[in-house]
Amino acid sequence: MQGKKPDPITGASLVRIDGVEVELLRLGQGQPLLYLHGMDGLEGSLDMVGRLAEHFEVFAPSHPGFGISELPARFSTVEDLAYFYLDLVETLGLRAPAVAGLSFGGWIAASMAIKNPQVASRLVLGAPLGLKATDRRRQDIADLFMLPAAAAEQIQQVTPLATKPLAQMEAGELYRLFRNREAVSLFGWSPYLHDPKLRQRLHRIQAPTLVLWGRDDALLPPQYGDAFAQEIPGAQCEILDRCGHRIHIDKPNELAERIAAFAATSHLREDRHARLAV
Amino acid sequence: MRVWQFSEQPYTPAWSVPGGVGVTLPTHHCDPVEAGTLLNRYLDEYMLADELGLNIMVNEHHSTSACMSASCMTTLAILARQTKKARLLALGIPLANRSDPLRVAEEIALVDAISGGRLEVGLVKGASYEVFMSNKHPTRFMDRFWEAHDLIVEALTNRGENFSWEGEHFHYRTVSVWPRPIQQPMPPIWMTASSPGSAALHAKYDYTCATFLSGAVARTVFDGYRDSYKAVHGRMPDEHKLGYLCVACVASTREEALRRAGKMKGYFDTAMRLDPQFRNAAGFVPVHEMVQLAKAEPGANRQRMRNGAPLPADATVEQYMDAGLMFVGTPDDVYEQLRRFYGEVGGFGNLLMMGQAGTLDHAETTDSLTLFGREVLPRLATLSLADCEEFVDTDAWRRSA
Repeated sequence: MQGKKPDPITGASLVRIDGVEVELLRLGQGQPLLYLHGMDGLEGSLDMVGRLAEHFEVFAPSHPGFGISELPARFSTVEDLAYFYLDLVETLGLRAPAVAGLSFGGWIAASMAIKNPQVASRLVLGAPLGLKATDRRRQDIADLFMLPAAAAEQIQQVTPLATKPLAQMEAGELYRLFRNREAVSLFGWSPYLHDPKLRQRLHRIQAPTLVLWGRDDALLPPQYGDAFAQEIPGAQCEILDRCGHRIHIDKPNELAERIAAFAATSHLREDRHARLAV
Repeated sequence: MRVWQFSEQPYTPAWSVPGGVGVTLPTHHCDPVEAGTLLNRYLDEYMLADELGLNIMVNEHHSTSACMSASCMTTLAILARQTKKARLLALGIPLANRSDPLRVAEEIALVDAISGGRLEVGLVKGASYEVFMSNKHPTRFMDRFWEAHDLIVEALTNRGENFSWEGEHFHYRTVSVWPRPIQQPMPPIWMTASSPGSAALHAKYDYTCATFLSGAVARTVFDGYRDSYKAVHGRMPDEHKLGYLCVACVASTREEALRRAGKMKGYFDTAMRLDPQFRNAAGFVPVHEMVQLAKAEPGANRQRMRNGAPLPADATVEQYMDAGLMFVGTPDDVYEQLRRFYGEVGGFGNLLMMGQAGTLDHAETTDSLTLFGREVLPRLATLSLADCEEFVDTDAWRRSA
């Protein structure tokens, strides 16, 4: 039905979690880091994963439905992905990994930490989707589905696109591109790239959380980041200059350094909790 | 052959607004009084069709100046009361865009009851751009379509106790359709196809299969239907199981007919005015087909002219005629063109005739329909493959499809 499936990304392998075969890129040594990619798929984060692998043992899967990862027929919400990744963390035996999610992956990461507040030692959310921030007469997030294809890409980053006409792309590249778009549509068509219930649940997150946002994010502006951070106890939103929605494309070096530094900090919130308990 | 009058009921005054004619066109471009006048005019033309012995087809689209009929069952509810003999075809109801398929079943039964059992119902996938208005998920679209279909069929045909429905997409505590449809077990169902594969599926269900403006491809669609029908049911289908939609225009002179066809061509020109991001909403078309589309030559999916070349985007009336999308001329001309096409595609029993399109005005539409009803319809009524043997299996055109 799906036609010929391309091979995994170089260095990645196929693993089976909950009976679902997913593509997993595993790179580096050290503290475990679960890296959850954005709407541009794992292929959009290869450079980022390489940088993070200098600090961590990185586990970077393609979300079910993205790239060449299978999509179970009953998966239809980001919550399904969050439960899946909670199982992945258990199945791979990751002990309180740092979890970093970008854009769509940030939404998944937040959803995981809501469901299991102990799952992550540190949580880094890079311009996460998922929150309804303003009133009902406004669409918070620029509508990627209503934009011409090239504009829908360019609005997400300040770095000029390395554009290639579709007809010149390899069949395997096209397959991943269309699968990524289909998956974003499945999980985000309506309500558009958010979950109306997310706001009331973000308070459950216990991991020390860093929210990062590009000052030039044209998909959803930095005020959205403040609203997101406000709902998570102890979290703050840091703004990166000359950076759009795809932080991993526009500021890969700063992002890697920031994640590494944040993961290495002491457990401030745990200390605070301990003090409160006394 | 049965003939069905059809108009998209356009709001042509807004066609001068630059840009797309749908999805993004703000509603302040609509003068509601003008819209009401036009809608009543189109209803008058449908009533004339009834008097002339034509049947009636109505469709629906949303948020567009190209088609004001935003609900085909609402339009048919009026015609159910106001017409006398015509069969009334909704082609169609975009099922997977509907929130409430039980309501679709209720509307079907209601219109069938008011019309005295004259309703025929097309259940269609519909165009990709409609999901931007319905906001229904483009992904798993056909899963939802088929669940809605199954529920509607069970709701319309149920003669036992009420039942419950707890499906993947739809949930009902108790299903009970009042009134029941007059036609037993339910009004005839139509579906549309543009490939032999989908036509083969419709044949299995014994549903009527229509193909729209497909020219040479109609042959492969009809063959797909006939082959599947014979394999499943053990006999050839009645030709009334097959329909072809085209634009048709008649006048007493060829020159006048071509002039009118020039106005009707506005239908095709506005259909082109759709921004590309609305053509295939993400997830609406399966991934492997999207890969094929991206790799295809430009024009690969356009209809073919008889020399095998793709129909240009800015085609002339003559090119649309050559490709089998328009049938234009005197009554004799149009009968001859239809006889040829009928032979080339191996016969079909329903001519879905866009007898009003574009800016064709009321006087012109009335004249064209009347001439067609009086001079072409009687000849088509008895048309069979024996009348057009010289066109059967002789043409290379359809092989280009």
